[in-house]
Amino acid sequence: MKFSSKSEQIVSVQNLNLVYHVDHYTNKSIKDLFVSLASSPIKSLTASARYYHVLQDINFDIYKGDRVGLLGINGAGKTSLCRCIAQMVVPNSGQVVVNGKTRAIFDTSIGIVPELTGRENAEVICSLLYPELSHKERQEVIEESLEFSELGEFLDVPYLKYSKGMQARLSLSIVSARGCDLLILDEVYDGADIFFREKVSARVLNMIKNSGAVIFVSHSLEQIEEACNKVVILDRSKVIYNGDVAQGITIYKNLLRK
Amino acid sequence: MTKLQMTLQQVKVLTYASMRARYRKTIIGFIWVVLNPILMYSVQAIVFTKFLQLNLPDYYLFLLGGLLPWIFINSSWDFCTSSIVSAGSILKSFQISPLTILFSSILENFINFFAAFIILVIPTLLFSDSLSSGMILFPISLALLILFTSFTTSIFSLMYVFYRDIKYITHFLMSILFFLTPIFYPPSFIPSQYKWIIDVNPLYMIIAPFRACLYNTPLPEILMMQLKGFGVVLVLGIIFTTYWKKCKNEILFKI
Repeated sequence: MKFSSKSEQIVSVQNLNLVYHVDHYTNKSIKDLFVSLASSPIKSLTASARYYHVLQDINFDIYKGDRVGLLGINGAGKTSLCRCIAQMVVPNSGQVVVNGKTRAIFDTSIGIVPELTGRENAEVICSLLYPELSHKERQEVIEESLEFSELGEFLDVPYLKYSKGMQARLSLSIVSARGCDLLILDEVYDGADIFFREKVSARVLNMIKNSGAVIFVSHSLEQIEEACNKVVILDRSKVIYNGDVAQGITIYKNLLRK
Repeated sequence: MTKLQMTLQQVKVLTYASMRARYRKTIIGFIWVVLNPILMYSVQAIVFTKFLQLNLPDYYLFLLGGLLPWIFINSSWDFCTSSIVSAGSILKSFQISPLTILFSSILENFINFFAAFIILVIPTLLFSDSLSSGMILFPISLALLILFTSFTTSIFSLMYVFYRDIKYITHFLMSILFFLTPIFYPPSFIPSQYKWIIDVNPLYMIIAPFRACLYNTPLPEILMMQLKGFGVVLVLGIIFTTYWKKCKNEILFKI
């Protein structure tokens, strides 16, 4: 992965292709391998690997201040694309150029150690999301996030007792606590109540003003309309639209009707 | 802060959090984890000296040097093989490498092993006739043991992502290897026609230098054992690196 020096460009995705081994979809065991090798050795040894093209020739750029809504039906490749940008997965070909620090969260209902309290989990999540911060800076982020979450006395209750809304409150408060060049939120507003969603949206928007860009993945067109100024639509592993929000939503609605 | 420093920091945080959660739930918590190898060692020491009457000088030290590293390897295979799969939702949600999760569970297991080792080795050495000069080389043997355990556990843990029956195979392997590896008996007990079994046993190549440092063995002999152990660790390191490069992209997809 290369890093660009252009000041305004945060992400540049060029000719990106991601391929997965189809055999890994199926649950195979050593026993299965042994049986197939023993029953038909020639077929097993000469069988060619099957691949699934998850992302195909993806090209788009994200600039400072962009709030990109990533739309697409289930299985279109949205999460895989976000993971490529977040450097969690390496593309098979093409390149993702990220200019600066990326922070990504893909699920807000995850407690790192569910047996620990919300406060203790906040400390762990904070260490994982902000490893570059000093101990003192991290403590400040924790205190500020816990206050923002408004979980009050529930902070000392084990995380496994939390409702989905409470889990979302805790994670979203921490992830939006500090600015970064690129924030990736993959369907993370799901579970949070309307009041808190508005509160976090305001905080994220404020964060964007002070720093970089955001990629939102959501099935809620209302949320996309409210929070984004640009839309990218993925369909069958390819980008079919990249531009204005209103037109993008119309195209996406037509896609759903098909 | 470099990437390595950040990863080490994450490993430390995850290990501490996991230990805090694990030992909070039980009254004697950590003591029980340490007590387990101590009890196993005590029972075996009594059975082999009193019942089977194995007549070896400083047998308690001999058994300790073989049994403790074996317990560490066995519990790491048992406890950490499923760690990547168990942490699937965390790996899918945050920008964390599967290796961070894996190494934090190995570190947790090592802390348990080291606590049991200190509790057992100090009184045993004090009551033994002579303090082995091989203790100078002990840090090297310990490093070889840690590397061997980390590499084998990592390979099994990566395999477990794709083949869920690998756990049964490791259980089966450990049951057989406990008897085939000279842990509670000396290698001299093995008839010459079967000596090849320990010559090809990588587990013994790692346990032997560990025990030799505690159990009065000449320094050149220990160095030779460590050289063999280094060869095993090197091969395992190459296998692990190759396998990791091949499958790291598929892990998130499969868990």
